[in-house]
Amino acid sequence: MKISRRNFLKGSATTLFLAGFNFPVLANTDKKKNLVVIMLRGGMDGLCAVPIIGDKNFEKRRKDLILDETIKLNSDFALHPKLKNFHNLWQNNLGAIVHATNIPYTKRSHFDGQNLMETGGHIPYSIKSGWLGRGMKLAELKGDGLALALPMPLLLRGIPSNDNFYPSKKRLPRTELLQLLKSVYADKSEHDLANMMEIIANRSMMSSGGTSMSRKNSSLAYKAGLELKKINGPRVAVFEVDGFDTHAAQGGVNGSHSDSLIEMDSIFKSLEKGLGPEIENTLVLTLTEFGRTIEQNGGRGTEHGYGSAIFMAGGLLKKSQVYTDWPGLKRKELFEGRDLNSTIDARSVYASAMSTVFDTDFKRVQKEVFWGDKLQDLSDKLFKI
Amino acid sequence: MKNFYRKVAFGLGPDEKVPSDPLEWAKNQLNDIPEFSWKGKILPEKELRNYYRDYVYGDRKVLRKKFKNDKDGYKREKNKLRHATGQKFWWNLELCIRYSEALKSTSPVLAKLWYFWGNHFAISEKDFLAQYTTGAYQREIIRANMNQNFEKMAQEATIGWSMIHHLDNEQNIGPKSQEAQWAREKGKTKGVNENHARELLELHTVSPDCGYTQEDVIQMAYIMSGWRPKWGKRRLETGDVHFNPDAHEPGTKIVLGKKYKRGRKSLSVAITDLVNHPSCRKFIAMKLCRYLITDNPTQEMMEPIIKAWEKSDGFLPEVHKAAIEVAFNYSDKYNKFQNPENWLLQMSKMADVDLIPSPSFMDLYQLGNKPIKDQRALERLMDELGQHPYLAKQPNGWSDISEDWMSPELLIRRLVYAREAYYKKSGKSQTTEFYEEMIEKNYDNPSEILQIINQHKELVHKHVILFNLPETLKS
Repeated sequence: MKISRRNFLKGSATTLFLAGFNFPVLANTDKKKNLVVIMLRGGMDGLCAVPIIGDKNFEKRRKDLILDETIKLNSDFALHPKLKNFHNLWQNNLGAIVHATNIPYTKRSHFDGQNLMETGGHIPYSIKSGWLGRGMKLAELKGDGLALALPMPLLLRGIPSNDNFYPSKKRLPRTELLQLLKSVYADKSEHDLANMMEIIANRSMMSSGGTSMSRKNSSLAYKAGLELKKINGPRVAVFEVDGFDTHAAQGGVNGSHSDSLIEMDSIFKSLEKGLGPEIENTLVLTLTEFGRTIEQNGGRGTEHGYGSAIFMAGGLLKKSQVYTDWPGLKRKELFEGRDLNSTIDARSVYASAMSTVFDTDFKRVQKEVFWGDKLQDLSDKLFKI
Repeated sequence: MKNFYRKVAFGLGPDEKVPSDPLEWAKNQLNDIPEFSWKGKILPEKELRNYYRDYVYGDRKVLRKKFKNDKDGYKREKNKLRHATGQKFWWNLELCIRYSEALKSTSPVLAKLWYFWGNHFAISEKDFLAQYTTGAYQREIIRANMNQNFEKMAQEATIGWSMIHHLDNEQNIGPKSQEAQWAREKGKTKGVNENHARELLELHTVSPDCGYTQEDVIQMAYIMSGWRPKWGKRRLETGDVHFNPDAHEPGTKIVLGKKYKRGRKSLSVAITDLVNHPSCRKFIAMKLCRYLITDNPTQEMMEPIIKAWEKSDGFLPEVHKAAIEVAFNYSDKYNKFQNPENWLLQMSKMADVDLIPSPSFMDLYQLGNKPIKDQRALERLMDELGQHPYLAKQPNGWSDISEDWMSPELLIRRLVYAREAYYKKSGKSQTTEFYEEMIEKNYDNPSEILQIINQHKELVHKHVILFNLPETLKS
């Protein structure tokens, strides 16, 4: 079997982005609702994370990758045994899954696929903004957005005046120096620079010892939870988890795909801890460029595939469920004879989520964020509306 | 006017005299390609590509199989393989070579333009190109052709191994080719991959302004089909680029209204036509102005560069001189927000920051070992500043539009690393007199600047302020 040459996804750089400050003042009766997106880079294997129960085709083609002691979710699907935190959420009606879904991209390149998962478009590199950024713009969530990364992720581009933050081990210069620069910028009519210096000088996350903060996803997630909880805090956070591109030693319960899933699971846990009761007003979604082949390869890994799954968490979910229009795993049911098919455009889930969290009409999201593409409104099936 | 030294180079260093004729000073640097200033080891691209081969072969064909049931063993052995092939070292060595041209050579103007062209024909982040070969590609294909016609650079970059691999042309197979036929017999489909063809038109030569269509892109991809690394069981995708007629689309192709016959020669003929298209010189002139002068170049700025191109048939030294002269003429009127790399190099040059590890220190590196922390300092620093030159995110390279670099986080990095840099200076440059002289030499408003920075007492604070003043951030 030909092994992909696109394994450029290396290291384990992890980042978090927060955005959507200064949203319009809410009436007292309205609750502040938060949207969190976790980007799973490298192609998350939906069939490893949420395997189907009792499918002979599946068991035959993946005999070395079948997991022991999976957690049964319902009569058809089980959960990867290492996803303990997600399972806790599930048991409290705070966790759900959309299965056999993907963005409308079928060509199996990380490079192009990750571009499209962030832009939501059809032609790689043709769109310069992200679907989340456009959704926030539509909901008028402009202003001091904050992205916890360097540089700004494409997913969030499309709203002006974004701010970004990425923990650095170095300390900022003293406040007097920042104030001096700010006034010099203002004197010289360098308004953009002056505005940036204002943000830097006032940055709460820096003053609370944020500079020496860990870049680990679990600690970023805890911090994000605390920020999202604030009534005047951000409304959007974005994380990235790398390492799903497991062409070799994908393994079973303790394999390399598990490592990345465990990292995702730790984000759920830390977010919940940071958010406290505000988990009730939060929706967390995952996003990946494609799933992986059903058949294992010679290195007991999997190749780039098509259909995958979306993990969802938070109190804005309608209930615990595996929402799917299951395409089956017989040869003729597979995409190009090798991959789990996608029967739900993942963008329908994201459009419905934005419509729910941003209190914006689905049709407007569909039209203005996704160019009127044919998408389903899944809000009443998946979310509390 | 003094911002001209920073606009087209990196300012004037402490040992440099103020040129009596700044424009001549700059232009004189553009005729020849001198030897590299770096006195340590410099490896040829081919040798570095062999290390790349050893890494991908070892990982894919050996370790993945051997450790298929042992995740930890796989990770451990893969780490060893990284060091055995210098994966963490070579790109640091390349950065030393790259930055020596800005800081230690007698042709910093050439260096600034070298960075421009490396970014124009960008090899963005893909596989392990950055760690092994991107630096060498920029030396051997980009810099080496800076005293040639643009066409030669375009021809060589297009069929350079790095570019072919980076833009997937190895997967570009004519749908009516012999190879596609063989694939069909096995029940598989093989076809065109437009990636490289699209970028050749869009990013490298004529740009979308020339009005090509999707059909032109496909036809261009047909012309390019068959150009790929010579495949070998051990070489995998790292073989030299050759033309494989079995993968080439038969028949005549039409790009921008011109016909091209099938075969090996058609690509080179097509590139000649593309670089001679009026949109190409206009596009390059615009990009040069955007890099050196302003986000929004005017027709008047671009005109002399286009003229020089037409007169010299795209001879790069002439094109460069014209661009430098335009930058000179507009130096009082326009300031360009500098990207992180150019900013760092300006600060290092003017303030005498010891940025680059010494050749003898770098040459201590032994294959198989993990590089010492300080041997990796440049790679880490560029990452922290947000612009590692070999890790652009997309084939269009790093942005040269100011807005893309204006973010609080990136400004924080400049505040933080200006401070760090101060402590990498020699004692003799940590004096008030040193700063007064440097400011006098490099800025048009020295007394105003001194008045601002003197509001702080400690020299390190003065340093941080100076390199974050609008006068420095924009040149």
